[in-house]
Amino acid sequence: MTSNSLNDSNEFVVLRNVTKSFGSFRALNGISFGIKEGEIFGYIGPNGAGKTTTMKILVGLISDFQGEVSIGGYQVPKRKDEIHKLLGYLPQTVAFQEWRTVNHALKTLGKLSGLSDAEVEGRIPEILDLLGLADVRHKKISQLSGGMTQKVGLAQALLHEPKLLVLDEPLGGLDPLSRHQFKGIVLKLGQKGTTILFSSHILSDVQDVADRIGIINRGRIKQVGTLNELKSRLSSQKTVEVLLSYVSDKWQEFGAIKNVTTVEQPSPGRVLVKLEMSADEDQVVNDIVQSIVKLGIRVRGITLLEPSLDEIYLNYVQEAEN
Amino acid sequence: MKLGLLFVDELLGFYKSKVMIFLWIGLPIIALLFRFVSESSSNIPFTLVSSIVVSSLAGTLASVMLAVFIINEKNRHVYELFLIRPLKRRDIILAKFFSVYTCVAIASLIAVLAGMITDYATTGTLSMTILNNAGQSLATGLSMIAVSCAAGVLIGVASPSVLVGAILVIYGGNQISVIPLVPTLLNLQDATVFTIVLAGATAAGLLAAAVALFERKQF
Repeated sequence: MTSNSLNDSNEFVVLRNVTKSFGSFRALNGISFGIKEGEIFGYIGPNGAGKTTTMKILVGLISDFQGEVSIGGYQVPKRKDEIHKLLGYLPQTVAFQEWRTVNHALKTLGKLSGLSDAEVEGRIPEILDLLGLADVRHKKISQLSGGMTQKVGLAQALLHEPKLLVLDEPLGGLDPLSRHQFKGIVLKLGQKGTTILFSSHILSDVQDVADRIGIINRGRIKQVGTLNELKSRLSSQKTVEVLLSYVSDKWQEFGAIKNVTTVEQPSPGRVLVKLEMSADEDQVVNDIVQSIVKLGIRVRGITLLEPSLDEIYLNYVQEAEN
Repeated sequence: MKLGLLFVDELLGFYKSKVMIFLWIGLPIIALLFRFVSESSSNIPFTLVSSIVVSSLAGTLASVMLAVFIINEKNRHVYELFLIRPLKRRDIILAKFFSVYTCVAIASLIAVLAGMITDYATTGTLSMTILNNAGQSLATGLSMIAVSCAAGVLIGVASPSVLVGAILVIYGGNQISVIPLVPTLLNLQDATVFTIVLAGATAAGLLAAAVALFERKQF
């Protein structure tokens, strides 16, 4: 697109060796990752891990950093004007001047984003309907609840139909129904081709909508990948769960099956068979079934356990803590 | 274009948050009270009293208003939603300056106008000398307000808290706003013209420093 292009691939957002310090505290320590065009990227990490700093660098609020960052081929922060035309941003703490009504805030911010008067007038009711804010259009934002204010923040980010949406903890303060609605909106936008980077502490929400996930801790990227990729990288978690119909000691025989490392019974009737990482899990499950038939054990079910995003997250975060 | 939009937006904000009303009614009332409570000023035409009050009070008011507005909005992260849009950072700062200056300047004009009306109503006449003096005082007052506004903007951008900002306005802002008085104190010919030029240059310098600081600020 321009001579400032940092990437040759189809990555819309690129961060390469980005480091940022606040005094002696290093908030980001050489982080690198990319986000493809139209991808929904979930960014997770504990408090103070560097999520907000990454986002502020991307949107140009922090310009004093080392490393290379580009959005749509435009280098950040050099080409801020071009980047800001592509961008919608919801900060973690969304705040408006106290005198503003929802309508007035959206009007001003829409016009500042480059929309004409007619476009703003057309988009405001559309976006307010989408977010369930139509009733509060002429209310002062200072009179709204925290969750509603957050929704107004989301409205201003979506108003000008940006190519890249950067959402910092967008689900904070939203009730379960609003969270559900929000996830629906994010998925719809992703299908339309909007590239979305969003951070959240609610891992199940990230799991529901993100195409890929990045885990950051103490200013370093620990993992980036799809949920399945992250699961497969978590070596200690390849496990088959066998639920017995009655308490029996015969389960210990599962230990003789090829590629089984350990067998344990954490609670009566629930047996966990742990496999070697190189094991073909389908083959092992088949061997377990044959062993069950041979031993004459009655079972309620056999499940190949996969780690949840919570387990993956805890694993990488705790690994860093240790 | 964006500066114009922000300027009108700020004025609308002052109107909706009643700041405008308090300024435009408050300043003439204070001038009126000053005249009636101060015995020594009862022989002076009210037009002049108003000009003096405007010169001394409006500048402080303007710098405090600007410093508090900017610090408050900066600390509440209000600017983040503006800074991620395709507009120049300096426009945000300049819109604040021009809107507060416009509001306070109008309040000053109303105060002086109220003085003239009162003088005319009580004496039935307005001498040219009084009008000339009032005009010169108003020009000096507006020049000082411009410097105070610019100082308020710089203090607002630089201060970490409202308290520090208020202290800096009282320590520094008020002293800087006296700079335009230098030509008058030196008894220069055409002192008013020099006052306006000096005020313009000082305000521009302070604003340039504020803009440079705001451009480099990390949010």
